[in-house]
Amino acid sequence: MCGIVGYIGDRQAQSILLNCLSKLEYRGYDSCGIAVTTDGVKVYKDAVRVEKLSKASPRLVGTVGIGHTRWATHGEPSQVNAHPHIDCTGKVAVVHNGIINNYRSLREQLIGEGHKFVSETDTEVIPHLIEKYYDGNLEEAVETALRDVEGSYAIIVLRTDEPKLVFARKDSPLILGLGDRENFIASDVPAILGYTGRVIYLEDGDIGVVTKHDVKIKNDGAKVTRPEHKILWGVEEAQKAGYEHFMLKEIHEQPRVIRNTLGEYTRETDPLADLAVMRDADAGAVLILGCGSSYYAGLLGKYVIEELLGMPVRVEVASEFNYYSHTLARTMAIAITQSGETADTLKAMKKLKETGCRVVAITNVVGSTASRIADQTIYTRAGPEISVLATKTLLAQFMVLYWLALSYSKVDARRLASLFTGLRQLPSKVQQVLDSESKIMECAQYLSKFEHIFFIGRGKNLPVALEGALKLKEAAYVHGEGFAAGEIKHGPLALLSRQTPVIAIVARDNTYEVMLSNIREIKARGSPLIALAEEGDEAIGELADSVIAVPKVDALFSPVVNIVALQLLAYYTAKERGCPIDFPRNLAKSVTVE
Amino acid sequence: MKQAVILAAGEGQRLRPFTVTKPKAMLSIAGKPILQYVVEALAQNGIRQIVIVVGYKREQVFDYMGDGEQFGVNIVYITQERQLGTAHALAQAQDAVQNEFLVLPGDNLIRAGTIARFVASQPNAVLVTKIANQARYGVVITEDGRVKDIMEKPKEAKGNTINTSIYAFNRGIFDFIGANLDIPDVLNDLLARGYAISAQETDGLWLDVVYPWDILSLNEAILRQIPPSLGGSVEAGAAVKGLVSVGTDTVIRSGSYIVGPVVIGDNCEIGPNVSILPSTSIGDNVVIASLSEIKNSVIGDDVTIGPGSIIQDSVIDDGCVIKGRFTACSGQAEVRVNDDYHLLATVGAMLGAGCHLESSVVAQPGVILGNYSQVQSMKMISGRMPDRSLVF
Repeated sequence: MCGIVGYIGDRQAQSILLNCLSKLEYRGYDSCGIAVTTDGVKVYKDAVRVEKLSKASPRLVGTVGIGHTRWATHGEPSQVNAHPHIDCTGKVAVVHNGIINNYRSLREQLIGEGHKFVSETDTEVIPHLIEKYYDGNLEEAVETALRDVEGSYAIIVLRTDEPKLVFARKDSPLILGLGDRENFIASDVPAILGYTGRVIYLEDGDIGVVTKHDVKIKNDGAKVTRPEHKILWGVEEAQKAGYEHFMLKEIHEQPRVIRNTLGEYTRETDPLADLAVMRDADAGAVLILGCGSSYYAGLLGKYVIEELLGMPVRVEVASEFNYYSHTLARTMAIAITQSGETADTLKAMKKLKETGCRVVAITNVVGSTASRIADQTIYTRAGPEISVLATKTLLAQFMVLYWLALSYSKVDARRLASLFTGLRQLPSKVQQVLDSESKIMECAQYLSKFEHIFFIGRGKNLPVALEGALKLKEAAYVHGEGFAAGEIKHGPLALLSRQTPVIAIVARDNTYEVMLSNIREIKARGSPLIALAEEGDEAIGELADSVIAVPKVDALFSPVVNIVALQLLAYYTAKERGCPIDFPRNLAKSVTVE
Repeated sequence: MKQAVILAAGEGQRLRPFTVTKPKAMLSIAGKPILQYVVEALAQNGIRQIVIVVGYKREQVFDYMGDGEQFGVNIVYITQERQLGTAHALAQAQDAVQNEFLVLPGDNLIRAGTIARFVASQPNAVLVTKIANQARYGVVITEDGRVKDIMEKPKEAKGNTINTSIYAFNRGIFDFIGANLDIPDVLNDLLARGYAISAQETDGLWLDVVYPWDILSLNEAILRQIPPSLGGSVEAGAAVKGLVSVGTDTVIRSGSYIVGPVVIGDNCEIGPNVSILPSTSIGDNVVIASLSEIKNSVIGDDVTIGPGSIIQDSVIDDGCVIKGRFTACSGQAEVRVNDDYHLLATVGAMLGAGCHLESSVVAQPGVILGNYSQVQSMKMISGRMPDRSLVF
């Protein structure tokens, strides 16, 4: 899974491409490269980060160019496997995001026809196919070449001395940016936001040409026009602005994200989504799907919807759901995907639509593929999240689920009014957690010495425990593992020792008493126990070795303040251990592979 | 001048409880932090390269100002780990500045007109202004547009021309900082060695806030300059008069009476039957329930105020939840800050962030309630209470 970019205009392409690539690095960063043309095709690429490539590359003269930053799926990270890839003549250069499933048979066939391959990648077949079919018209050659290809792709092609870029999109994201006597192509909007705010979202099956003056798009042989969007978020939101890491900046943005989200939802006179089935408690269960942190958001959604609506909810990991054997007749499914491009989730959505299910998407990216498949989309307004780790987007997903549940809830009016007041307090409460950072830092310094840390929770704070553990894995490379508190004694208790701190998330709801006894069980095994509890809770203070106190909120909203505390804990533990944080090893922001 | 250094690292300890959670420069006046007024004044005078020296609670500055793009400027942050003084703060920025630059405090509210002429000054120069009550400030003695002496808070009155703490320097200044911790000391060193410092006078707006109740007078001064706007909706039967600014998605419900100058933030719910009287600022995401009157007060973000409340000459910080029948009437009070007592003619209540007040709480004039405090029903609060107070 990778990031690609293309530029054509009056300016020199090299520095523009490198600048855009640095903003695409969250999509993949084990190798990168650029190719420019004016007077031949010049390629420079290596298995290094963009910053290093920028410093090492010689001056390449050309006003038409393409660039790529890579997350390896076929072929290990190396200079020869990095993109752009070229054909035998060195006249065609291609960058590609996606996977060509039949690349092996194509490769064999092309070698048989005399083509020479140098890399282990699937991408390399594309320039050779274009070379094979080229007959004076680059677009036609690309179109014909793509007919041989099976798989997913977002590609940008250039050919020596031709003042144009050819692009195509199928199952991988691609957008166009429109400028003044210059145009851009990129995997996503933040890459080019520094240059233009006018964007066109391409659809699957789109193939076209960009010159410095215009754009032509075809789909299925016919000419199409796609609407132009004006992007409202500024480049500022995609920069660190004082913070050392994007993750910390994004954690600090959460009060504002909650306020914006609430603002948008209270504005709507109609409910957020037409979830008619949710009015009727006799209807079939709602299904929620997601991957990673989005799955944990779905799990919270289950507890919240069941509590407020009294209707059953089922939550599944999308990648597993795709391999279940039954055919379900579900009435409604909610698919949660931050990027809107998560392959596992998209596949599940398509499968559900085929069975006649209504699908609602919750996503952070306007115009993403998920929003195109779903019958209805609810956008989280968190702004772009640059850190690979989901923080503010997860919280925004929580807010959507709370709002949905509250809109359809069956609790009495007084409780409902009290909940809405509590909801309005959340930005302030989250800010309070952020203001108590220094205490969490102390805890992180202590935890940074351990290799295995367990998180336990019950009910709606179980997803918080699971997510807290996940953040620790991603940020600090520590084996964090979340458990349902009731499950520990059925096996995992055997793992506990003085070397395994346990973080217990304690909420003031009907799970409170039993959590206290779980904590006693764990203390009896000698493990250091840290409680995440409401401030002023003296019973916990006496039991636990130390307490991370969070401000008092209605128990329903306890996951919100709790998860922010755990995000900070993961961040400072990671910092203590010297981890890179924003771009962890082996991970990419938007997982468009299965 | 193309560049400015803003010193925004200070705490503003005398402004507690409001500065427990944010630096002085981030105190909100008429809906904007003081620092934003400074940045905007610079941008309007064509200065867009800005270095901000931060320290105390710097995340508040990062979160709000970002990289400056939103305000039309380019911001670089320098951290002063320990707040030792203004010269020490300036010294931290040594590697970030060009040849000539302005230096401004981040916690004095100014407008574009205040520095309009000063931005063209040649270093070294200081901006001075005349003020009625100069006892709290550094006095500058000038002669023919040149500085003769700078005295910090002199015991006897020596004229009323004071130092605005806005300077024009060049890189040479760093050679004179030495062991000096405050800029006036550096200037006195310069003078002692025979260097010339010119003094320019301004009659533009220059406001300082030292004590919590100063927020009210700054609020009043600025509100007069904010043009009216309507971003939300006003129901039938509600009256809006004068200079009133209403944020996006805010609803003013029937029977409400809003008299400007008033600023109301985004996504608020005001009313029904609520009176908002001059000069009042209300933040974002605020709910004010029916039959309440708010007069000459500053209300922060995320505040909920229950029905039947009377709030006059008061400052209520972010996130407070106040149940019905809260009474904070204005009156004469003697308020203690550190070891000094201040006699105030008209002041209401000053509540820190995140306080929870049950119904029918009465606040004595001049009460200062610390952050995150809780007050039970029908209690009276008075005097000065620390953070996390519990009044049962």
